[in-house]
Amino acid sequence: MAPKLPPQQPLQTPAEQGNDGAATAGHVNEGYHHGPSGLMRWLLTTNHKEIGTLYLIFSLSMFFIGGIFALVVRAELFQPGLQLVQPEFFNQMTTMHGLIMVFGAVMPGFVGLANWMIPLQVGAPDMALPRLNNFSFWLLPVAFTLLLSTLLMPGGGPNFGWTFYAPLSTTYAPPSTTFFILSLHIAGISSILGAINIIATILNMRAPGMRMMDMPLFVWTWLITAFLLIAVMPVLAGVITMMLMDINFGTSFFNAAGGGDPVMFQHIFWFFGHPEVYIMILPAFGIVSAIIPTFARKRLFGYASMVYATSSIAILSFLVWAHHMFAVGLPLVAELFFMYTTMLIAVPTGVKVFNWIATLFQGSISFETPMLFALAFVVLFTIGGFSGLMLAIAPADFQYHDTYFVVAHFHYVLVPGAVFAIMAAVYYWLPKWTGHYPNERLGRWHFWTSVIGVNLTFFPMHFSGLAGMPRRIPDYALQFADFNMASSIGALLFGTSQLLFVLMIIKCVRGGEKAPAKAWEGAEDLEWTVPSPAPLHTFDTPPQFHHREG
Amino acid sequence: MRNLAGVVAAIGGSVWLTRSALADGWNMPLGVTDVSRDIHGLHMTIFWICVVIGIVVFGVMFYSLFRYRRSKGAKSAHFHENTTVEVVWTAIPLLILVGMALPATATLKEMYDAEDADLDVMVTGQQWRWHYEYLGEDVSFISNMSTPRDQIDGAAAKGENYLLEVDQPLVLPVDRKVRFLLTSDDVVHSWWVPDLAVKQDAIPGFVNENWVRIEEPGTYRGQCTELCGRNHGFMPVVVEAVPPEEFDTWLAERKQAAAREASGVDREWGMDELMTRGQKVYESVCASCHQVDGSGNPPVFPALANNPALMEERDRHIATVINGVSGAPMPAFSSTLSPVEIAAVVTYERNAWGNETGDIVQPSEIQSQLE
Amino acid sequence: MWQVLKSVLAAFFGVQKDQQRKKDFEEGRPTAFIIVGLLMALVLVVGIFLLATTAAE
Repeated sequence: MAPKLPPQQPLQTPAEQGNDGAATAGHVNEGYHHGPSGLMRWLLTTNHKEIGTLYLIFSLSMFFIGGIFALVVRAELFQPGLQLVQPEFFNQMTTMHGLIMVFGAVMPGFVGLANWMIPLQVGAPDMALPRLNNFSFWLLPVAFTLLLSTLLMPGGGPNFGWTFYAPLSTTYAPPSTTFFILSLHIAGISSILGAINIIATILNMRAPGMRMMDMPLFVWTWLITAFLLIAVMPVLAGVITMMLMDINFGTSFFNAAGGGDPVMFQHIFWFFGHPEVYIMILPAFGIVSAIIPTFARKRLFGYASMVYATSSIAILSFLVWAHHMFAVGLPLVAELFFMYTTMLIAVPTGVKVFNWIATLFQGSISFETPMLFALAFVVLFTIGGFSGLMLAIAPADFQYHDTYFVVAHFHYVLVPGAVFAIMAAVYYWLPKWTGHYPNERLGRWHFWTSVIGVNLTFFPMHFSGLAGMPRRIPDYALQFADFNMASSIGALLFGTSQLLFVLMIIKCVRGGEKAPAKAWEGAEDLEWTVPSPAPLHTFDTPPQFHHREG
Repeated sequence: MRNLAGVVAAIGGSVWLTRSALADGWNMPLGVTDVSRDIHGLHMTIFWICVVIGIVVFGVMFYSLFRYRRSKGAKSAHFHENTTVEVVWTAIPLLILVGMALPATATLKEMYDAEDADLDVMVTGQQWRWHYEYLGEDVSFISNMSTPRDQIDGAAAKGENYLLEVDQPLVLPVDRKVRFLLTSDDVVHSWWVPDLAVKQDAIPGFVNENWVRIEEPGTYRGQCTELCGRNHGFMPVVVEAVPPEEFDTWLAERKQAAAREASGVDREWGMDELMTRGQKVYESVCASCHQVDGSGNPPVFPALANNPALMEERDRHIATVINGVSGAPMPAFSSTLSPVEIAAVVTYERNAWGNETGDIVQPSEIQSQLE
Repeated sequence: MWQVLKSVLAAFFGVQKDQQRKKDFEEGRPTAFIIVGLLMALVLVVGIFLLATTAAE
């Protein structure tokens, strides 16, 4: 599917798009851009805006594939008993849903936004390493084609959960696991290269006059996220390589019979996995910190403390991994250590929420769609934070662990958290990308159906978990039936309402109310100084940045 | 003022609604042990702390959204930092957390004190059942889910304890300290009974500890909570807590039965009784992977029917059941099955589903191999 | 040096006066802040560990 969005020109008619011949109008305008056209243009592009678009389209496609898997899971759980799928396939669906959403939808979504917006926000002409940028994107379709193809292999795809605990994922795994490992390796390389590129861009290519403490928070949060990525993706690569050795070369890293330790797998996985959780939420903090001041028409409260809080969260994220393992039989000292560090993380996270609310206080607030999503983020992410605080209490975690309460918790921080932030960002920056405002009516419909759907899906999971329903089961006892039926109905509503999102994007690309350079009245950052839609090449001459005083 | 009254009424109403909902079985069970009540107390404390913080934070937020609407002509102020406020809202959460950490630490220490138990029970997870052994009492048995397949497939009406019922529950005495030693024969499982507030992973090659002192007789149900493969959802835990005297009687009966079982090793067994016994063992232990008809689930679980290679090697067949297969899902059954059971199940596998080898494996032969 | 330590502690707590922050960014050397910051992170870890050990007894 060739993306129909050449960002360098306003789209006049679909007919003109069809003949994207050797010399389109856009290319003529850009005297020195002599790239290939058609499919090869997208395959070989080194332009940060085009690569950003590719990432976002990829992320959206994966969001739908992962969403369909989730709907299979929810359909089976609509009623007690096995109706639609057998447990083998059910386990593959839960596993693939998690893997695709984490590695295929949320992470590439944020990288796409980073590609588009970081150069624009720091006043750079492009990413620091454009060819590497192209390579890191095109690794992703390879990785995920490979991953999805395992579903068709004998023995089926990965069926051991997205956390793939050994030895279920080694000795007891289907033969396709080796392909799963290779695909994660490729996705991991893509992430590392992307992170290197982002760091190089932010540290070296800021506009003259822009100091670190002048950078927009989206840039700050991504800088910290990129360091986290570089720190932990090699850990993931290490653990899956150990799995590979255990499966194919007779080692016993995680096989107790050979002197290995299955718990060591969990330690290594979560040493990657917990910072990974913050990789999926820190850029969201940056997005919300851009949107709320814009629509409150008031400067972000506590900019410096936002930067400090982000750094604190990043550092603490390396010290809390074993709170995912309170029930594996850790020594008492370890339980206490990880309980205390986990509780500490609540402080910087709370500070962020307080800062957003203080920004709203005495503002001049309007409620365009990006703002609606950002506000829903603040409320619903905070609810996810509350359940996180409850989970931090180690004794209580023995009751919560591996139940639907945990499922409710991490979906609250990831769906109305990370995913809503990405959607808010899309609504916020679409005028810059396409030159048109998104359709406000469609946006509102999409927003309200999503909010209702998300809460109907995930709120009852708190109750089913507390009532005793374990996660990752294809069938359940009768007392959980009502909660599950509500969740399934909510999931269907949330899933189908995303079609409105796609419809809105298509309409916005094709036309709509024209947006000026500064599309939102209260917007302040550098991206709003270039025309809408942003031409293919921006900031060829670095802008002079004037930081705000007082 | 009318606004304020409305807000107070709304908050009061939702608190009342929340309380009644929580009382109605939507919440963590209070449980029947000291520890479970402590945990429930911590859970409710942190829950109400979150509710209060939520009311304050969201209250300020929605007030601001309502009061400072641009459509009502709100003009934005210019402040963007205030050191005092920031210090206050960093310090208060810190204090709340310290206040929460103190009781949590105390409860955790209590949970970790498994010393001086009156009874030790070894709990072993297997795909997909639990094996219980009363240590030092020579009593052990396997506990399988007893919900019929028809109920799962919707061919029969679902019973009251659908998916939460077993053929042999774990029987425990009330008012005695019982220590659990948990391990696994294959993948990681997790043994959970909400009413006892015991959830502990069962990890192959390692032994975990937990304990319970049940205060009320009754039947308490739970499930495996760590994804352990295909039948993860069909691996219930049922604990039956009985008064100590009743427990002692029960244990004595089980000991006698175990002694009878052990004496079975000394006599010669006939084909028919081995086949009958073997079928029971096979369907309880082997069929979850190798299927009731012996067709297996290749490539991971080989077929036992129509497997000429296996039928030629009687000794390897016996050794595989006793020792398991290193690097493959087949566990060693030497610790979970008695010599009689191993002999019966091997005999059954070598003569069922058209495997008409005519081989009889005697329990005494297994016994000598185990020694 | 004392000022560096004070600023790092302020950053750990997350609150600092704007004036002092500006002064740090204009006059301080980044290496000093990074080294003291890493040391303080280590102190934090050891501190929590000691706290946990004491509490466990």
